[in-house]
Amino acid sequence: MTETSDLKNEEIKIGVYTCYCGGNISDVVKCEKVADALREMPNVVVSRTNMAMCSDVGQSIIEEDIKSKGLNRVIVGACAPSLHEQTFRGTVSRAGLNPYLYHHVGLREQNSWVHGNNPGEATKKAIRLMLAGLAKARLLKPLDAIKLEAEVHALVIGGGVAGLRSAYDIARRGIRVTLIEKTPFLGGRMAQLETVFPTNNQAREDLHDLIEKVTQHPNITLYTSAEMVGYGGYIGNYEVQIRQQSRGVSGDIAEAALAACTQEIPDEFNYGLTKRKVIYRAYEGCYPSDPAVDWEHYDGKPLDIDGKEVVFENTIKTFDLKVGAIVMATGFNPYEPPKGDYGYGELPEVVTLPQFIRYMGFRESSDELTWNGRPVRDIAVIHCVGSRHVAGVHDPQPDGILNNYCSRVCCTAALHQVNELREEFPQLNVYDFYNDIRTYGLEHEAYYKEASQNMVRFLRFHVDERPEVAAAPAGDTHPVLVKGKDYLTNGLEIEAAVDLVILAVGIIPNPVPELVDLMKIPVGDDRFLLEVHPKLRPVETPVPGVVLAGTAQSPMNIQESCNAASAAAAKVSALLAKGQVILEPFVAKVDLEKCDGTGKCVEVCEYEDAIAVKTITIDGKEVQRAVVTPANCSGCGNCVSACPNKAVEVQGWEVAQFEAMVEALAMEVEA
Amino acid sequence: MEAATSTKVPKILVIATLSGGYAGADYVGQQHLHYATNTSILPVRCPSMFSEDFYINAFEKGIDGIIVMYSGTDSPYKGGPERTAQIIDNTYKQMQERGLNTRRLRLAAICTVCKKPFLKQVKEMNETLDEIGFVQDELAGKGDG
Repeated sequence: MTETSDLKNEEIKIGVYTCYCGGNISDVVKCEKVADALREMPNVVVSRTNMAMCSDVGQSIIEEDIKSKGLNRVIVGACAPSLHEQTFRGTVSRAGLNPYLYHHVGLREQNSWVHGNNPGEATKKAIRLMLAGLAKARLLKPLDAIKLEAEVHALVIGGGVAGLRSAYDIARRGIRVTLIEKTPFLGGRMAQLETVFPTNNQAREDLHDLIEKVTQHPNITLYTSAEMVGYGGYIGNYEVQIRQQSRGVSGDIAEAALAACTQEIPDEFNYGLTKRKVIYRAYEGCYPSDPAVDWEHYDGKPLDIDGKEVVFENTIKTFDLKVGAIVMATGFNPYEPPKGDYGYGELPEVVTLPQFIRYMGFRESSDELTWNGRPVRDIAVIHCVGSRHVAGVHDPQPDGILNNYCSRVCCTAALHQVNELREEFPQLNVYDFYNDIRTYGLEHEAYYKEASQNMVRFLRFHVDERPEVAAAPAGDTHPVLVKGKDYLTNGLEIEAAVDLVILAVGIIPNPVPELVDLMKIPVGDDRFLLEVHPKLRPVETPVPGVVLAGTAQSPMNIQESCNAASAAAAKVSALLAKGQVILEPFVAKVDLEKCDGTGKCVEVCEYEDAIAVKTITIDGKEVQRAVVTPANCSGCGNCVSACPNKAVEVQGWEVAQFEAMVEALAMEVEA
Repeated sequence: MEAATSTKVPKILVIATLSGGYAGADYVGQQHLHYATNTSILPVRCPSMFSEDFYINAFEKGIDGIIVMYSGTDSPYKGGPERTAQIIDNTYKQMQERGLNTRRLRLAAICTVCKKPFLKQVKEMNETLDEIGFVQDELAGKGDG
């Protein structure tokens, strides 16, 4: 690999490559003109285009040119650096060039995709950007990546199915895992389901199999009622603080406390359809099996247990952990419609699908379906409640955001439920009001076909003509009327008298603003945590070592959540398995000849032990000089601007390189 | 190619943080939203690395407007945003001393998905430059600023 000394007196030979990106760039930018313009520039030895520089063929061209033409700098103009900069660093490295002698220019997201209305100017801009890249490339220096010991220990945040799956997959590769769950019980939303598609397995049975694997695994440490409240460090060496609330009742008095407790609140496990005590188990068979005190609602009054008055106290424990990577499996909440929307919250016969699933879980089995003691013979299902909202038709949420995304799982979940109902109660009439049926996924269309064949009446509404749900007139045969136009029958006005309305509600992310603020994880327009790229880096966040698992990222069904969780686990495992992480060398470097030890750099640095003025010996003389500890330096550059002697630079991001780029950008370009 | 003494279209330089504005610009691209082609974006870890000279030199080289899209409170770098703001403030003073209109330099917090604020900043800078003219004219004492 090329070392600094090798390049000092070497002629700079630059290879320039302009990518068509399969038309994504070349449909707007005349790539051949860009290549021609660059070819004429000093130091450019070769300037080529290719349909896809990131392909094996494209990369081979670069490798071959480095070897045959003696290139010692390479520039590729292509998609965003966040996607393929690392790819091409690998390319040049394989050909024997230091990877930091590569420079990436973004011509897609910041040019062709935003200037499709002006191809001529986009081509000029592409040339300008490539010239700026060329200016920087001339000043590139070979750098060595920083290798640091990494904690072979991952933190998984969230004890739902995605968190459990991630934790287990990481642990079985020999990596220590700490799993924290905010509530007192594991299982998350999956525990609230009954049978699940496409297996028709019992959700809690599958879940408990996984919980058993997790809780039995020697590499996994589990904390319930625990949250991350502090965060610092960097990939491989995160220092986090965990805050754990106590369960409040210990084993010997747990059952007695549970029995003695009389304070009740709406049971969130059953979405408020039932009540539970403030000393509670989430559900029968939950893990951990010990009850817990609901500290948020417990009124603090003593309970009479075996003749003694007992007051429960929340003993909060806070402790620190060092972890190398963090999995965000913070899950989702079902959308709750505002009061009055489709009669929700006003008519007792209007429920959400998650509520109905819970109802089917706890109701006493009988041959007849009832609701509020009344036989149910006609049901209306309404799709896209809380999903695919349209401006002007739907109101934004309280946070001002319109839920314009498709929640993806609700169509299949609703049809799966409807089919089960028709099977269990063949006399039931089902009216299915939908906008579009989106039973995506392998063989999920079968649920729609089955429902169609099973006499479910599908009625298609337009998004701006949503069905109206209202109480039926007194004395009517049914309590609720659902009116709407059916565009399968040319807009025929339909009125369905029903006993129950089920709203197929969407998915919204479980809000985690504290974690987002702490960790600086980006959040998308839809409030879900945002990955770097949906295809190329689908579980990674821009924060190195922090990955996403499950519905924290987007609406997913259980299978998809598990797949995403396994992908996150694979990413973490690959990162930590070697016990060291490789960091970019973009840290401060002091020019000892320019530095005279003013210490201005130290004054503006907010990182402990990153830079300090020390006494060192140069040419036999003891002098004061700034000295950087690379492992502690963030590479922010505060010290660069503070130095009166311009003796400090951030390696790879030198001010002189920027000045050269600015000069190039200020030039007039003809295309 | 020739030097920028006969600029026809104002040139806007965007200094954008990798953790904020640069990712935000990529997001704008992913949405295929349009903005003016006279905008060139350079990624930076944190603009706190640039001293006042950097901006003054950029204007003298022919950059008509600079938008520093930093990460604000989302910055992963401790002290970086505060230092950046201080440097920009100092730069305004130097610009005034040189007769440069301070509206040529903007500091804006742009997040990774701030598509509308990104577009707004670019649009407003273009409107400003339409109003106050080219930097070279201003440096030559012919500007409106």
